[in-house]
Amino acid sequence: MRKIKLILILLICCSLITGCAETKILERISLVTLIGYDNGDEDKVTATTVVRQINPEFESRVETQTETEATSKGTRIKVDMKTAKKLAAGQLRVVLYGEELAKQGIEESIQTLLSNSEISTSVYLAVVRGESKTLIEQNYEGISDIGQHLYNLIDHNIEQQQLISSTLHEIGRDNQSKVRNFALPILKKEGQFIGITGTAFFNKGKMVGELPSSDISYLVLICDSFKSGTLELSLDSESISPTVETKGDTLNLAVDSIKSKSIIKVTDAKKNEFDLNILLKCRLLETSNKIDISDPKVNKTIEKAMNEKIESEISRIIKYTKEIESDIFGFGEEYRSQVRGANLTEEKWMEMYKKMKLNINVDVEIIRNGVYE
Amino acid sequence: MKSLLQISNDQKFNAPLLFFVVVTSQIAVGIQGFQRLIVKDATHDAWISILLSFLFSHFIVYVMFKTLEIYSTNDLFGIQLDLFGKYLGHLINFSYVIYVSFAFFVVLKNYTEIITTWVFPNLSQVFISGTLLILVIYSFTGGLRVIIGVCFISVVSTIWMLLLLLFPLEYAHYNHLLPVLSNDLVSILKGAYSMTFTIVGFEVVNILYPFVKDKNKAQKYVHFGLFFTCFVYVFVMIVTIVYFSNEQLEKTIWALLTLFSIIKLPFIERIEIIVICFWLIIILPNLCLFSWSAYRGIVRIKNIKGTTFIWIFTILIFFVSLPVQSRHDINRINNIFSKIAFYVVFIYPLFLYIMASTKKILKKWVKSS
Repeated sequence: MRKIKLILILLICCSLITGCAETKILERISLVTLIGYDNGDEDKVTATTVVRQINPEFESRVETQTETEATSKGTRIKVDMKTAKKLAAGQLRVVLYGEELAKQGIEESIQTLLSNSEISTSVYLAVVRGESKTLIEQNYEGISDIGQHLYNLIDHNIEQQQLISSTLHEIGRDNQSKVRNFALPILKKEGQFIGITGTAFFNKGKMVGELPSSDISYLVLICDSFKSGTLELSLDSESISPTVETKGDTLNLAVDSIKSKSIIKVTDAKKNEFDLNILLKCRLLETSNKIDISDPKVNKTIEKAMNEKIESEISRIIKYTKEIESDIFGFGEEYRSQVRGANLTEEKWMEMYKKMKLNINVDVEIIRNGVYE
Repeated sequence: MKSLLQISNDQKFNAPLLFFVVVTSQIAVGIQGFQRLIVKDATHDAWISILLSFLFSHFIVYVMFKTLEIYSTNDLFGIQLDLFGKYLGHLINFSYVIYVSFAFFVVLKNYTEIITTWVFPNLSQVFISGTLLILVIYSFTGGLRVIIGVCFISVVSTIWMLLLLLFPLEYAHYNHLLPVLSNDLVSILKGAYSMTFTIVGFEVVNILYPFVKDKNKAQKYVHFGLFFTCFVYVFVMIVTIVYFSNEQLEKTIWALLTLFSIIKLPFIERIEIIVICFWLIIILPNLCLFSWSAYRGIVRIKNIKGTTFIWIFTILIFFVSLPVQSRHDINRINNIFSKIAFYVVFIYPLFLYIMASTKKILKKWVKSS
């Protein structure tokens, strides 16, 4: 009996002293939801943080703080000194980089984020046109919490496959990989709104180039398999005449993808030759002038014209990435996995990538076109 | 044969429970960070290394049971006393006690370190190891059957964590696994050797054996247990390889926890925090089994009561664990431990079997002549 009592007392003590552990009570901390990094003066970093303070009595308040220090932790200490409540970074959703900083390199910053156990690896990264500070500090009508807003903006676009996924995990993975580079979305302040205006390409953690947002669909088409996503094309009237007649020089059409699959194959390892096969099953949503899609002949012609158009767009994009030396599509990864004893190094692969020969085959299939013919 | 054990039936447990004992004793702190150790040598063929290491473990279990069957109802400590005589036998027994205490220490230290890096960076390690040790005392004083019960509960209540590993597959690049077998045999074997730290634990069967009710079934369940842990490790490894790039994996200390940190569930955003705290249930049976093994060894040398032993044991461990604090120290201790464990778990049983069977043959020969 005495023994049981003793054990009981011990257990009660144990459960009581759990309260002595570090607590993080919601009302007593400020949640960092967004951080923007910019170039400061003399090798220093400017960090702009969006801090959300939960208040039991009033609405929760969102405030921004900017500090410049040599390290990102140093800025955190300074921000801590300005806020009434302890900072907690566990709810961080988005990390932004100013354009200039991105061009100088963000490799160390990614490393710091990865090694911090407080930060989840599902945080999104993005580049800001101009300075991230100005984007964050501006007051937007209708946006109460810019941290949450940017997170939703990026998240739903990735979900709808209008963006290449840029979680911290994926960026860290591709950054450290010898045979792959990564890309981040570019955000831009447009008056009272924030929009995604393009994709920034990186090599060794440095921003080396960019493509406008109209090309994003093609990027996703190469990298990923589409589950949903829309594609806008303008076909030259020459390529579809005389089966289909157009009013102007071009026929604009929008399709949304139902299913797509991209397969990269190394056809000749010695000659450095690749095949890129893309199969796209889509739905015709909109055309700039009336065409009779129920006619199989018209259907075939449009499909063929689309194939050519997509092929030429993709080859243009790949040519551009070769110029700026950024392989975000994972051709190197495919080469490593398909060629035995490839022994690729970063430099070796870049040399090969620039000389790579690529055969693009796109196979579009229009499955249906809505409820009205 | 001297030093036979007298064990009443109410102290014994059923053979199928050995399955749970083996699974819990193998899966402890190692699984959270074993990936990078193996990938360092075997890169994307690491899962083959795991298969190889388990193949060897099955062989060792087979040899272990052959040795135990020669003595029918004796544990490792009794066998050593019989083979090496009183003085050398006690010395070897004592070294074995030191080995299991070391194992206990390593599990404790690694877990406290994970807690301090991931959940409570400011919490003192003294506090965490203190509370853990109190829990160990509590279950130890319940006796062997309680410890076996803890093993059972530990497996049953943590098996759901395997399902969490399906979430990270959203980011999987399956071509990381190709080309299969591109590494040479030496590096794959090196990877298998690095598995030691993760795979050891099943040697407690050596000491549990006399307490099993139906001994002829025991071996079957130990092999089952090994099969199951092999499945778990290979599954974890494959998910890790397709999720991380090779270079990134080499820098990730606890790959399993990093895997969990991308999971976002609607009702909880950071599942890894829950997982780490739940991990206590996984390591508790480990600590109990190791301390119990140490007790069985000490009893042979000096007959003391279990309660006295566990208090002395935990207090000693507590004070030894105080100076070890940094990641660097713990890494070094892990390396030393896995080197020692390799010889104790994988080489020594072979040697013991040769000794025991020669003695048996010699005895027969003496009798007949």
